[in-house]
Amino acid sequence: MTATIAKLVMRRFLVAIPTLLFVSILLFVVLRILPVDPAAMSVPPNATLAEIERMREQMGLHLPIPQQYLIWLGDLLRGDFGTSTHFRTGVAGLVATTLPATIELAVMGMILGGGLGLCGGLLIFYFRDTRTEAALDVGTIAVLSLPDFLWALFLMLVFGVVWQILPFTGRLSPDLDRPVVTGFLLLDTLITGQPKTFVNALYHMILPAMALGISAAPPIIRVLRSSLLDTYQEDFIHQARLRGLSERRILLRHGLKNAILPTLSLMGVQFGFLFGGTLLVEIIFSYPGMGNLMVDAIRNTDLPIIQTVGLTYCVMVLLVSITVDSLYLILNPKLRAR
Amino acid sequence: MSLLQANELSVALRLHAGDFPALSNLSFKVEAGRTLGIVGESGAGKSMITRSIAQLLPRGFSVTGGSLRFMGQDLLGMHADARRALFGREIAFIPQEPLSALNPVLTVGQQMQEHLLHIGVRRGEWRDRAIAALSDVQLQDPAGLLAKYPHQLSGGMCQRVLIAMAFVSRPKLLIADEPTTALDVTIQARIMDLIADLRRQHGTAVIFITHDLRLAAQICDEIMVLYAGRQAEYGPARALMEAPRHPYTRCLQLAVPAMTGPRRGLYILPERMPGLRAVRAMSGCRFAERCPLADSACLAGEPAPAKVAPGHVAACLRPEATASIAPPPPPDHAAASTTAGEPLLKLDGLGKVFVTRRRLIGKPDLFSALNSATLELHQGEFFGIVGESGSGKSTLGRLVVGLEQPTRGRIMLLGRDIGNERAETRAFRRENVQIVFQDPQSALNPRRRVAAIITQVLEAAGVPEAERQVRARELLAEIGLSPESAHSYPSQLSGGQKQRVNIARALCRPPQVLVADEIASGLDVSVQAQLLNLLLRLRKDHGFSMLFISHDLSVVRYLCDRVAVMNRGEIVETGRTEEVFANPAHPYTQTLLASVPPDQAAADTLDHQGATP
Repeated sequence: MTATIAKLVMRRFLVAIPTLLFVSILLFVVLRILPVDPAAMSVPPNATLAEIERMREQMGLHLPIPQQYLIWLGDLLRGDFGTSTHFRTGVAGLVATTLPATIELAVMGMILGGGLGLCGGLLIFYFRDTRTEAALDVGTIAVLSLPDFLWALFLMLVFGVVWQILPFTGRLSPDLDRPVVTGFLLLDTLITGQPKTFVNALYHMILPAMALGISAAPPIIRVLRSSLLDTYQEDFIHQARLRGLSERRILLRHGLKNAILPTLSLMGVQFGFLFGGTLLVEIIFSYPGMGNLMVDAIRNTDLPIIQTVGLTYCVMVLLVSITVDSLYLILNPKLRAR
Repeated sequence: MSLLQANELSVALRLHAGDFPALSNLSFKVEAGRTLGIVGESGAGKSMITRSIAQLLPRGFSVTGGSLRFMGQDLLGMHADARRALFGREIAFIPQEPLSALNPVLTVGQQMQEHLLHIGVRRGEWRDRAIAALSDVQLQDPAGLLAKYPHQLSGGMCQRVLIAMAFVSRPKLLIADEPTTALDVTIQARIMDLIADLRRQHGTAVIFITHDLRLAAQICDEIMVLYAGRQAEYGPARALMEAPRHPYTRCLQLAVPAMTGPRRGLYILPERMPGLRAVRAMSGCRFAERCPLADSACLAGEPAPAKVAPGHVAACLRPEATASIAPPPPPDHAAASTTAGEPLLKLDGLGKVFVTRRRLIGKPDLFSALNSATLELHQGEFFGIVGESGSGKSTLGRLVVGLEQPTRGRIMLLGRDIGNERAETRAFRRENVQIVFQDPQSALNPRRRVAAIITQVLEAAGVPEAERQVRARELLAEIGLSPESAHSYPSQLSGGQKQRVNIARALCRPPQVLVADEIASGLDVSVQAQLLNLLLRLRKDHGFSMLFISHDLSVVRYLCDRVAVMNRGEIVETGRTEEVFANPAHPYTQTLLASVPPDQAAADTLDHQGATP
């Protein structure tokens, strides 16, 4: 059984390769077509045209675009992500320091959003055909109709400014030392045994993660409810009642275990979007992640960073979808039967 | 004290407009160790009885009167927890659709474990108990089965698992709701034997709900026949079968083709059973509208169940007149078909191999659905193809219509090979061969009106709308539907009407050969009888031939001139229907025929202990 799952997951990884290649070509070509000249930006402002031309040749920009692409791809495969034209340091290092923060934020957002969605879905199903359901429904639609950056501002205003119970800038209070082991703050504070810093970091994460995850919840709520309603039409639910099982047991063991499957495929899509959403949220909450790096890079037309960060986003989205798909395989025995 | 006793039980749909009765004043009882059959067509209220016992009535329905007692306890007024404590322990249920009654994401073991712990088996012992229970129902390798998921098992195996779960607590009462309807006949026979064995071993009382009067007569001690929520007749199985005292029981018997003796006609009940709305407006006998014996007295007041013999009641004013209902004459097969001359359709060594899985390297996995089928179909002949699921009978039909391409052999129609996908072959085949699919529910586009559905062929040929409307009306008249139904959507029709529309579509441009894949299954017997006679009449008018694919042997015996018996992709026996069924030559045909319940209750071959009440 585990062997077949491993095989199917492997297949998903193989399919991811052409996807990545396609995205890398798209990214590269678009950035080359843009009317910016990286060579001109890499020389001092008083450089002559000849010096710019020499720089261009040095950077390989005189070659045809397909050839440039292949060189870039070759470098990537060798682990060379290029040098930032603005910071003058390796792109790999820059991404490596900011990526864990973004992953941490995204995962937290998924946990909050997914948790909210699942609990909401169960609750609204449990209260079906009552007034409570109607009230919950209104709430869901309200949440759905606000875009996440407005949620970010709203949460910041209410919990950060008016009530002042949660911090809303950065990853950590400035007076605390930041341990660096893996780059994942929550993990590092645990490893080095600093519970106070851990709690502080967690507090810092709540508002941005909430802003990120909240809009993922309403669709999950709706899909979970409707698939629970469908599942409850099935004979095995009726049969479970006829065997005298309690309603709670029927809901959690028989209803939810089946209804979770369509919900899970939705979550795969949602979490992909959510990863892209980190960019905006990071900026609003001044959260030092990959999103802020990307915005700086765009402002400075720092092509190597834009390319690498863009590709990293793509890898992350693919990883999320492979993870969700694998989970789907584990939970749905029918797909494994081959 | 009876084990289960219903007294004047009434259930109704409660709306603002008032109560719509679904069950009216039902009284019956089940004694320990005995079997009660509840028989009726859909809408009669059979499953409403199970739902009342379980107190899982559909939304809006509630018990409006009477009582229901199990071992003296009031099932209706009981607290939900107390009822839950009874279910799965004292009262067990076997469902209709075994494949969907098991949770698809849990293994058999997980579900057995849940059930065993629920009925109080200790955690350390559940495995041994589960294995013992699965061996009791004659399942091979019970230990290995525990790790399997339901979709890895066949329908018959799933039903055995459910039976094992039902009997593991040694229940006092077992309620089986059409437990074999979804299964093949040979499996049905084995499952019924199994239930009978376990019942005998443990002294369990059984309520057996079915639409099949013959099956009920074979295994039950008493039978209650329901009609539109009312008890029509209730009495000892044998007496009720041999001398029915309610016209409905008699009509039900005569609506089903006989398996033995000379072919007889099918009694056609007109119209349909009244629904909830119609019943509410009725003042007389609910069956009167369709009853061949009804007169004005029947419409005046509802007859109460009256004693006609010891332990035998019938709700009819003149129960003794029932015997006068006679079957119509048999259909005239000889006149319509000719086996002489050149055959219309010839299948020559036809075979189909499916690729079940392709590999990058190495040979693909193959499945041979049809090995080598050879048969001839003559002008105007109805040819039955019988066999169990997986025998290849549907594949054969799909090959003839061109939905699949044969991997070997030839299909000759009117001297032309139609086993290929050339454009001219396709056009020729479309003109001469049509198919009617099994499930009209999914075969008819729910978003199109009936007129558009049945004239689809003309639409494709570019025939003007006005002409199509005319043809639609003609077709509706032929299949016995009102002209107004042209504007209906399929969802507004009943199951039988949908199947007629399904047939009308295939006959829009009358084909030479009609392939009908299980078109009479899943219909009530009275609707089925109407449909079979419709097919015979249409043949008389249009003279087409038909490949009639069915698992129902009695229907094939009634309808078809010749028959081919299929097993595992092979035609094992072919011949004139009556001869094959009377003197089966192949062992498989013999097994198949032995699995069908006999026409009359063979009560003496079964052990019916105790006196009839």
